[in-house]
Amino acid sequence: MTDRSGHGRLRQWVRRSMSDLRRSVPYLVRGAVTSFGSLIILIGLVVVAALLLVGVGWLLLPPATRLLRWWTGTERRRVEAFTGASVPEAYPPLAGSLSHQIRTVVLDRTTRRDTAWLTVHGLTGHVMGVLAVGLPLGAVNAALVPAYWWILPEHSPVNAPHAVTSWADTLPTPLVAAVYALLALALVPRFASWQTRCARTLLAPPRETRLRERVTELTASRAAALEAHGSELRRIERDLHDGAQNRLVEVVMQLGIAERAWQREPASALPLILRAQDAAGSALGELRDVVRSIYPPILTERGLDGALAALAARCPIPCTLRMDGLRRVPAAVESAAYFVVAEALTNVAKHSGAEHAEVRVTVRRRPEPEEDVLVVRVTDDGRGGATERAGTGLAGIRRRVAAFDGRTELSSPDGGPTQLEAELPCGS
Amino acid sequence: MRVVIAEDDVLLREGLVLLLNNEGIEVVAASDNADDFLAAVEELRPDAAVVDVRLPPSFSDEGLRAAVTARRRLPGMPVLVLSAYVEDSYAAELLADGAGGVGYLLKERVGKVAKFLDALHRVADGGTVMDPEVISQLMVRRRADDPMRTLTPREREVLELMAEGHGNRSIAELLVVSETAVSKHIRNIFVKLGLPPTDNGHRRVLAVLAHLRS
Repeated sequence: MTDRSGHGRLRQWVRRSMSDLRRSVPYLVRGAVTSFGSLIILIGLVVVAALLLVGVGWLLLPPATRLLRWWTGTERRRVEAFTGASVPEAYPPLAGSLSHQIRTVVLDRTTRRDTAWLTVHGLTGHVMGVLAVGLPLGAVNAALVPAYWWILPEHSPVNAPHAVTSWADTLPTPLVAAVYALLALALVPRFASWQTRCARTLLAPPRETRLRERVTELTASRAAALEAHGSELRRIERDLHDGAQNRLVEVVMQLGIAERAWQREPASALPLILRAQDAAGSALGELRDVVRSIYPPILTERGLDGALAALAARCPIPCTLRMDGLRRVPAAVESAAYFVVAEALTNVAKHSGAEHAEVRVTVRRRPEPEEDVLVVRVTDDGRGGATERAGTGLAGIRRRVAAFDGRTELSSPDGGPTQLEAELPCGS
Repeated sequence: MRVVIAEDDVLLREGLVLLLNNEGIEVVAASDNADDFLAAVEELRPDAAVVDVRLPPSFSDEGLRAAVTARRRLPGMPVLVLSAYVEDSYAAELLADGAGGVGYLLKERVGKVAKFLDALHRVADGGTVMDPEVISQLMVRRRADDPMRTLTPREREVLELMAEGHGNRSIAELLVVSETAVSKHIRNIFVKLGLPPTDNGHRRVLAVLAHLRS
């Protein structure tokens, strides 16, 4: 039993390593090419550094840094293409007077980190690229040597890696092939991940910078949250004051008028009482609207999916609703998502002239900062050209989403289609 | 009596016009904003004005400011201010000019028509009417060494009614006591609070309110 499962594990390892190897080889070959590029740029930088002593180098510093930034940018994209996860880039802008630019270059840590990466990659990238190609080829060659060694002339025999000049010499070649193959399977994927890690470590902004940016973002989103909260409170106060409160005053007033009418002539009081009843009814209606605007009761009763289904059904334009992997998210996020969809569909119905709308809601994991986000996407096939002018509701959506540290993206070229996407972090 | 009213909610405005007309009070102008209200007051010189605190365009305290402006342009112009909630500092602004003829009531007081009409008449006659809510706001904020603490419960009742703008007779009726008893209570209150004795009118209310606000 143990033997067979051990066997299975080995097979599994070989299969996994084979697929890693197939992915890694082209990556490392490209890495070898960029490694030579890096060496050339490194030499250029050394020259610039030498010229600093005679002064001209200072003039060359900003353009050299721009070149370095561009080059590391291509490397970031190579790593991103390989791993599927982006390598964030954050540079202080190179602008202003020459002395200011020089100061930025000299003082900023990213310059040093980029140069460090350039050196490491320039010195190791080509070695790894050569091994990535050489080890598998060596294995194949050693395996094939028994088939062709005799074709070659005696004075220039095949090396596998020992010179093979007789059938006896071919005896160890299967073993040699196996060693090459094992080395390739074990090392090449490691090279790829090592090269990736190295780029990620040195080319991503230092932790400190990332944290500082994050603090700035969070400060802004907290301010937006406070602002959104404040304007919500004002809106609710206004709605209550102008709506329900006034209607109840009207009830009291109509009843007062009715009371006086009843004292004079009882029959004349009835229509006034009925008016008071109507006013009480509209007070209830206003209260219902305010309650709905604070937290739609349907969210409590049916959850987000049920609430969105109701919205889609109520939309005057045919609307399809797709929801994938939806789970319960915090109430505030659900309510924001509900309002985004409600507002977006209102816009679609009012302005787009669309024949069809689609609402798509999914939960996905975002990498930076790592957490689940609820993604709400509303698309329509209307005439496009939507903007965030005040009063279109789009500005309101953006504010509401920003309050959650979320992102809103609107794409609406003239002629359509229009797509609104909002990302709402779920806080976990 | 001729009145001008300002109320932005159309149903409330119509209701108020109906209520006043039914009671034989002529509404000579009913506007939904402060500017029209001020123009009407200046042009028509009504016996009293009834105005909502919150009016367009900004829906903050335009109505209150319009009332103050109207009284600056026409000193002593009786104004009854209505509001969905009361704030004692607003009352102070209305009373600041020291002239009588000021009222400040919660909107829902119009439902008790007889009392509301009584208040409107008192304001039109130069009296002062404060909502009981304003007085209770003033009464709760008392310091520990306050002479108010030496008042008997009955004296406190009399003080509250006095602050709301009621005269001796009205207080006597509301508390079901004799007018002489009310006068005695009032004398005691003034002595205990260290206020100079004043006549029955608006100045007495002002003195009491000033003491409560101090």
